[in-house]
Amino acid sequence: MRGVWCAALLVGGVALASPWQSRTPAYLFYVASESEDEVALMRFVPDAGLSVDKVIVVGTLPAEIEGPHGLYVDPDGSHWYLTMGHGFPFGSLWKYETGSDTAVGRIELGLFPSTVSVPPVGGLAFAVNSNFYGDPEPSTVSIIDLESMIEIERAETCTMPHGSRFSPDGLQHYSTCMMDDQLVELDVARLEVARRLDVSPAPGSGAVCSPTWVMPAANGDYVYVACNKSHELVEVSVDDWTVTRRMPAPTAPYNIALTPDDEKIIVTQKGSAEVSVWERRTGKRLALVSSARKVTHGVAVSPDGRFAFVSVEGIGGERGAVDVIDLVSLRLVASADVGKQAGGIAFWKMVE
Amino acid sequence: MRVRNCWIALGFAIAFAPAAAAQTASRVELSSPAVSVAVGDEVQLSARVFDAAGNQIDVPVRFFSAQRRDLPISRDGVLQPVKGGEYVVYAMVTTARNVRDSLVFTVEYPALDEVVLEPTGERFFVGAAVRHHATVYDVSGAERSEVAVTWATDDQAIASVDRFGRLTAHREGTVTLTARAQDVSASHRYRVVANPVRTLSLTLDQDSARTGDVIHAAAVALDGRGQRVEDVPIMFSLVSNPDDSIVGQYPSAEIDQQGRFVAQHTGDYTIIAVAPGHVAHGTVQITNRFASQQVQLVGQAAVRDVSTSDLWIWEGVDGRDYAITGTHNAKGAAYFWDVTNPASPEMIDSIVVDARTVNDVKISEDGRVAVISREGASNRRNGLVVLDVSNPRDVKMHSAFDDGLTGGVHNVFIHDNHVYAINNGRRFDVINIADPTNPHRVGRFELETPGHGIHDIWIVDGIAYTSNWGDGVVLIDVGNGIKGGSPSNPVEIARYNDFDGATHAAFPYRSPTGKFYVVMGDERGGPRFDGLQPGTPGLMAGYMHFVDFTDPLNPEEVARYEVPEAGSHNMWIEDDKLYAAFYQGGMRVVDISGELKGNLYHQGREVARYMAYDPQGVVPNSVMTWGAQPYKGNLFFAEYNSGLWAIKLLPQQQRLTQ
Repeated sequence: MRGVWCAALLVGGVALASPWQSRTPAYLFYVASESEDEVALMRFVPDAGLSVDKVIVVGTLPAEIEGPHGLYVDPDGSHWYLTMGHGFPFGSLWKYETGSDTAVGRIELGLFPSTVSVPPVGGLAFAVNSNFYGDPEPSTVSIIDLESMIEIERAETCTMPHGSRFSPDGLQHYSTCMMDDQLVELDVARLEVARRLDVSPAPGSGAVCSPTWVMPAANGDYVYVACNKSHELVEVSVDDWTVTRRMPAPTAPYNIALTPDDEKIIVTQKGSAEVSVWERRTGKRLALVSSARKVTHGVAVSPDGRFAFVSVEGIGGERGAVDVIDLVSLRLVASADVGKQAGGIAFWKMVE
Repeated sequence: MRVRNCWIALGFAIAFAPAAAAQTASRVELSSPAVSVAVGDEVQLSARVFDAAGNQIDVPVRFFSAQRRDLPISRDGVLQPVKGGEYVVYAMVTTARNVRDSLVFTVEYPALDEVVLEPTGERFFVGAAVRHHATVYDVSGAERSEVAVTWATDDQAIASVDRFGRLTAHREGTVTLTARAQDVSASHRYRVVANPVRTLSLTLDQDSARTGDVIHAAAVALDGRGQRVEDVPIMFSLVSNPDDSIVGQYPSAEIDQQGRFVAQHTGDYTIIAVAPGHVAHGTVQITNRFASQQVQLVGQAAVRDVSTSDLWIWEGVDGRDYAITGTHNAKGAAYFWDVTNPASPEMIDSIVVDARTVNDVKISEDGRVAVISREGASNRRNGLVVLDVSNPRDVKMHSAFDDGLTGGVHNVFIHDNHVYAINNGRRFDVINIADPTNPHRVGRFELETPGHGIHDIWIVDGIAYTSNWGDGVVLIDVGNGIKGGSPSNPVEIARYNDFDGATHAAFPYRSPTGKFYVVMGDERGGPRFDGLQPGTPGLMAGYMHFVDFTDPLNPEEVARYEVPEAGSHNMWIEDDKLYAAFYQGGMRVVDISGELKGNLYHQGREVARYMAYDPQGVVPNSVMTWGAQPYKGNLFFAEYNSGLWAIKLLPQQQRLTQ
C-alpha cells in the first residue's frame, strides 16, 4: 500500500513540477448520493474540467431509498466500501471492486451505519453505527474483516457516533459521538476503546459541540475535530490527549481533510454552504469558498495536495454536486452535478 | 480427537501479550489442541506471530468465527461451540495486512435426547395406513431435522411400517411402532382391531363449480350398526381430467387432507376418499370462472418530472372529489387534484416540504386534515406534516411534527383524531391531532423480537394491521376494545409470521362467507444486476399472502396471489375485489369472492389488468404501479413513473364463446 501512495505522491509531484498542458493527470474519485441510491465515479482533469465517468446504481430495492452514505477506497486501490444507512431495519456495508465497480460482498451492520474507513494496511473496515434516528443510547463501531466480510467486533462507544478515521500508523482509530461530545480512540490491536475525551467547550453540558468528524494529521501528532454545533475546529494533542486549540469556524463545520503535508486543513461548512481552508500551523483561516449549492458535506484531498473534492447535498429536489477547489489558488475551479444528497466521497487514484 | 472443558490455560498469554511493533508481524499460526470438538466444550486456541525474519513476536491477536452464533469465540480465543457442524475460525493481527490463519473445526452435535412421535392413539384398524412423524431433539433442546430416523414394528405380521413412517395394519393384535434416531427412540403401542367400517360415503358440497371455488369433501365411515366411526383415518386424493391436458402444465387442482379442493383448470375431477378397505369417490365439473371485465381508461393526472408515491381520494367538505399524491425520491412535494371529473383531473394546489420523499399521504375521515410523511430532510429532521385541506385549492400547513420522528416517517394512517406514524422503521408512534395545530404523542408500540422492523400500518374498527417484514402481520387493538387497547395503550391481539421476511403491507377483509382474511403483501427486490444504469425500469418480486384469521389465535395461510413476472406493493379490498398494485406487473383486479385456496393467479380470478404506459414518463413506458383506491365507480391508482391514473371496470359482457 505504501508503495501505491508513494507512487501517487510521485506522480503528483511530477504533475506539480510540470505545466498541466505538458503532462496532465486525471484525478478519479467516488461520491455517494444518499437520496438517489447511486455512486458516481468522477474524473477531474485540471485543464478539461470535472465529469461523471460512471454512475453505479446501488442497493437492492428500486422502489425504496436505501441510503448510501459512507464511502472509502481501500488503500491498495482494489476495492471501495460503501455503507447503506437503511435496511429492515439494519444498514449494511458493501464491498465493490474498483474498475469493474462490481459488488463482491455485503454484511449487515447496526442501525444507520454511516462513516467508514480502512486502516493504511487494509484488511479491516471500521464503520460507525450512527443510529441517527433511534433513541439516544450508546451505539457502536462495527469492525469488519474485509476478506471474509465477517463482522468481528462491535465496540460500544457512545451516542450517535460519526466520523471514522485512522492514525497514520493504523494503530488507533478515531470517531466522535454527536450526542455525547466525545472523541473516542479505539486501539486497533485490541479492538477496544483506549481513550475518550470530552471535546465540548463546556464539558458536562450535553451536546454543546456535537462533533461530526475527526481527522488525524499525517504526522500523527494531532487530530482535528469538527464541532458542528458550537462552530469550532478543535485541535487535540494525541500525546497529551488534551484540547490544544479551539478555532472559531463558520456555521456548522462538518467534515475535515488535511493536505498530505499537513499544511492545510479543509473543512466543509454544512450550515453556511462553504468550505474553509486553514493554515494548520498558525490556525489562520486562509479562505472561505462558497459551495455550488447548500448543505456542504464531505471532502477528500488529492494525494498531491493540490485539490480538494467536495460533495454538496443540495436541498429537496436539487441535484447533489461535487466541487473542486484548487488548494493553491484557493478558488473553486470546477463543479458538476451528481445524484441527490451527495455525501460520502473518497479519492481513488491519479492517472495520466 | 475430542476434548472437554480442559483447554483454557493454553495460549492466553500469547493472545494478550503487550502490543509491540505490530506492523512487523508477517505471519500468524493458529493452533488448537483439537479441531474436532463438541457442543459444551471450551477450547482455548493459541496463536503465534512471527516477523519477516521468522522471529516470534508479541502482538495481540484477534480470534473470530465465521459463524459466531453457532461457534462463538471469545476475544482471548476460547471456543465454545453451541451447535454441531463444520466451521472456520480465524486468527489475525489486526494491525498488519493480511496476517491471518484459519482452522476448520468440526463440532460434534450434542447427544440426542428424545424422539417425539405423532400421531398416537389407542386403536388402529386393520387395513389402515397412517403416516407418522418423528421429531428428534438433542440434549440442548434443539430440533435435529438432519438426523435420520428409522422405523420399525415389533410384529410385522400385525403391522408394518415403511421408511416414511407410514404404518399399515394387517391383522388384529398389539403392535409397537418405534422410531429410532441413533441411540434414542420413541415407541407407541397400538391395539390393532378389526376394521369396523362397513360403508364409506363421500359428500361434496358442490358437484360443479368454477375455477378457484373451494369444494368441501366430507367422508363418513359407518360401522355395521350404522354408527359413525370417528377415529378411522381417511385420506383424500384426486384424479384430474382437465380440458387442457398439455404436458408440462402446472397442477390442475389440489386437495388437502381436510377435504378442501380447488381447481385451476376447467375439466372434471374425481375426488377420492380412502378408508381402510373402502374407497368412495365423487366427480365434480369445473367450469371457467369468467371473471374478466373490460377496462376503460378514464384519465391521467400526469406527473412526469418526478416519481409519484402514494395516493388518497376523498370527498371534500364542498362535496367535490379530490386526490392527493406524494412524490418519491424527489423534492418533497405533495400534489392536490380535483378529480370530480376523473377524465380531466386538474391540479389545484401543491405543497413542498423539506424532504426528498413524501412516501405516504392520508386524509382524515372528515376530509379536513391531511398528513404527509417526510424523509430526506436537509437537516435530517424528518417526521410528518399536518395540513388543512378543508379547501384543497388553498392547502395550508397546520403544523409539522418531528419530535422523536427525525428518522423519517415512511407510512402513516389517520384514525379517530390520531395519526399512527411508522417511526424510523422500528415502531409506530401515536400522535393526537384533535387539535391539528398542536400534535402531541400519546403512545407508541414496538415489537420485542430481535432485529424487528415495521413498514406499514392500516386501521379498521380500532384494530391496527401492521406489516413487520419477518414478523409478518401483527393485529393490535388501538381502540377496538377486544383487548382493552387504546391509542395511548396499544395491545397486541394476534400475529402471523412471514417465513420469507418480506411483509410490507397488510389489508383486512371480512368476506361475506364469514371468513376473515388478512392479506399480507411482500416487498422484494427482483433481479438486480451489476452495471444497471440510472433510469432503467426497476424489477420487483414477491406476492400477496391470504391468511385466514377467522380464529385469530390460529391463523392459517390458505392462498396466495402471485404474479410470476412481477412483485406486489400496496392493495385495497372492496366488494369481493382485490385491487393490487404489482409494480412492473401493473394494476391488477382480482376476484376474491368465496372461500380462498391455492394460487389465485392460476384460477381465472383475475378480473382485469391495466398497464399504464406513458412514453413521457420519468422512465418512459415503464410501468411501476404503486397503490390503488376504488372510489365512486372508478379505480384510481398511482404510477411511480407517470402520476395518478383513473380507470373504470366495464360491466361484464355476454360471452359469445366458451
